[in-house]
Amino acid sequence: MQKLDLKITELENPEYNRIVERAEKRIEEAVLYALVSDQTRNNEIEIPSFPIAIMIIAAANDGFLKRRYALAEAKRAYSLLKQENKSKLTEIAQVFNWKMKPLQAETTMPKTAPADFIMHFTDYLKNTGNLRESKWKLVNRTMLNGEVHVTRDEAARLLSEEVRAHIEKKLELKIGFTLPPMVIKRAETLKQLAQVKRGQIRQEEMPKETTIEAFPPCIRQLYNSAQTGRHISHIGRFALTSFLINSGMPVENVVECFRPASDFSERMTRYQVEHIAGDRGSRTRYIPPRCDTLRTHGVCPGMDEICRRGVRHPLTYYRKKLRLVKAETPATTARA
Amino acid sequence: MNKISTQEFIQQKFAEYYKQNLSSVQPPTSLDKREFAFLLFKERTMLRHKGFKTTEDFRESLLTVVPSDVYYSSAYYEKPEEEMDAKGWIGADLIFDIDADHIPTPCNKEHDTWTCKNCGMSGRGAKPEKCPKCAGQKFDDVSWPCDTCLASAKEETIKLIDVLDKDFGLSTREMNLAFSGHRGYHVHVENETVRTLDSIARKEIVDFMLGLGLEPTLHDFEKGESPKLEDAGWKGRIAKGTYEFLLTVTQEQLERVGLKKKTATQIIKQRERILESWEEKGPWKMLKGVGPDSWKKMIQQAINRQSVKIDTVVTTDVHRLIRLGNTLHGETGFLKTGVSISEIEGFDPFKHAVAFKHDTVKVDVSSAPQFRLGDYAYGPYKNEKVELPTAVSMLLLCKGTAKIVEETVHVQ
Repeated sequence: MQKLDLKITELENPEYNRIVERAEKRIEEAVLYALVSDQTRNNEIEIPSFPIAIMIIAAANDGFLKRRYALAEAKRAYSLLKQENKSKLTEIAQVFNWKMKPLQAETTMPKTAPADFIMHFTDYLKNTGNLRESKWKLVNRTMLNGEVHVTRDEAARLLSEEVRAHIEKKLELKIGFTLPPMVIKRAETLKQLAQVKRGQIRQEEMPKETTIEAFPPCIRQLYNSAQTGRHISHIGRFALTSFLINSGMPVENVVECFRPASDFSERMTRYQVEHIAGDRGSRTRYIPPRCDTLRTHGVCPGMDEICRRGVRHPLTYYRKKLRLVKAETPATTARA
Repeated sequence: MNKISTQEFIQQKFAEYYKQNLSSVQPPTSLDKREFAFLLFKERTMLRHKGFKTTEDFRESLLTVVPSDVYYSSAYYEKPEEEMDAKGWIGADLIFDIDADHIPTPCNKEHDTWTCKNCGMSGRGAKPEKCPKCAGQKFDDVSWPCDTCLASAKEETIKLIDVLDKDFGLSTREMNLAFSGHRGYHVHVENETVRTLDSIARKEIVDFMLGLGLEPTLHDFEKGESPKLEDAGWKGRIAKGTYEFLLTVTQEQLERVGLKKKTATQIIKQRERILESWEEKGPWKMLKGVGPDSWKKMIQQAINRQSVKIDTVVTTDVHRLIRLGNTLHGETGFLKTGVSISEIEGFDPFKHAVAFKHDTVKVDVSSAPQFRLGDYAYGPYKNEKVELPTAVSMLLLCKGTAKIVEETVHVQ
């Protein structure tokens, strides 16, 4: 920005209109399609439009908008990175302080899957947290002496994840100056657009009543344990409580679920349930852990038919099954 | 001469120990960034969110409080004394906990006892879910550290260190190994690169140790160069585990893991040939009627054998409180003792973790199984008064299965 000699206060100047407009387009496209496409070949507009977009989004300060934009930019980065050669990718990795180097043909361990790079497992793990395919699981990789083998395409994908994290972090920064009214106005408009889009994504609103028949196997088992007063692990209690809260069960009824426990303490249980519901403490409502986390801690009792249809979260299962249950019979609801 | 409770006696012994051995209690690295917690003897509550600037402050506090257990955070914080939300997490050491509780052991925990709080019924082994007599669910249970349990835990620890070294490339200098003071071992990894891993990344490390989510086809099973004994990483472990499984497996065991009778017979019959085949390409494709599905079931058995049985919660928790080295364990009176990795084979917790080495104490034991301490075996005991070496008495007292015999205690 400094190099371009662009001043924040000058953004309203008609000269820069095209840059601001391009920034706005970038964001709009990201919100609607999770994409950033090449619109203009004019670098004088394209390059400064990125920091302007960042500024507008930071000003809008909307979580969904931020994540969505970072995702779109990361996708674009991936499509560009895919075309780069090994030495360029190595260079880019260095910018992010990764320990990644091209795998020399002669140092390739015999009899391992083909790979183009080796990278340190910490860099690998920091960038695979959002990737769900089983080929990304560390346990399914070739790793020797702390170095994970990856192909060129995989390296590009991981770098794009780094780009996403990088942008998300940038968007978290507080802006230390006042933005021109025009920018604030645009930010507000985009924020509204994001809210409409998010509404569409979440169109499946949770019903008011909890339907036990639609519980996934893990929650059903936990729920039965609670009802019969059996011991439930810490993470199991957390999963059950957050699931019930998110399924729309009132705090009061969730507390009741735990009453059969021999060491039930109403005060403690209520405190914990309210905490998870976001009525206390940090004010965030917690959601249950995802399937693979439950698997790690031995809470998953094994998958059923619906789980196998690519379900990765207990609540996704619940929404899917709800549709099925509803189609079949009028549902019985949990003790109110 | 005053009457003194068992609990006061234990605390007094702990106080003496810390007074005489204060310089051996080393605070963790980055002392001022850690949260400390003391479990209090009397109140049985945890004094949390403590922070210390200097080793002297910490030691002084240890002498004043004399806690039953001393913990510190694996995490580094900007402000360790604030409430959780305001601490400012900087990073955390990578911690592994191997405890006999999480490992099936040959002793079946026969030395452990439980008593139903409701009807008083009692039994041996791990406590049941429900009391067989009254269906009550609250128990008093006493778990004993035994040679068999600790040998199993040691075996898992050696596996863990091997994986950390060969697969994760961590040097033994970055790993701190310690006997936990009860039924297992802790491994702390302290280095810059692992410090900032979040809980999701650590979960992947846990899954790696457990072999959870492992897909044989992604390790070239059924394609390319199938797993061989000399292969590195999980690929090699699949081969080694399968080999070991097939070495001793019986027809019944094969059927129990889900193989068809005919397939199982085929494998048992050809065992010699299969084992020999490892010298070349392995057995994966040589047997008619033994298809990929059968092999996958056997590979799952291999994974179970090769996996490292760690406590999943400890490693994924980036705010974990963990026992401080060279402090006393309130349930045993043993020390959490550092072990040099090259000397783990010869480490004997019942000798090297003993804190109270002098004198004898007379105690009234309600019940205890036979156990070893140092070079001698003690027990079993049932409702009897015995005079025993201090460390032995302390173990019984800390376990809550013995009381101090009052007339032997002198207090000024």
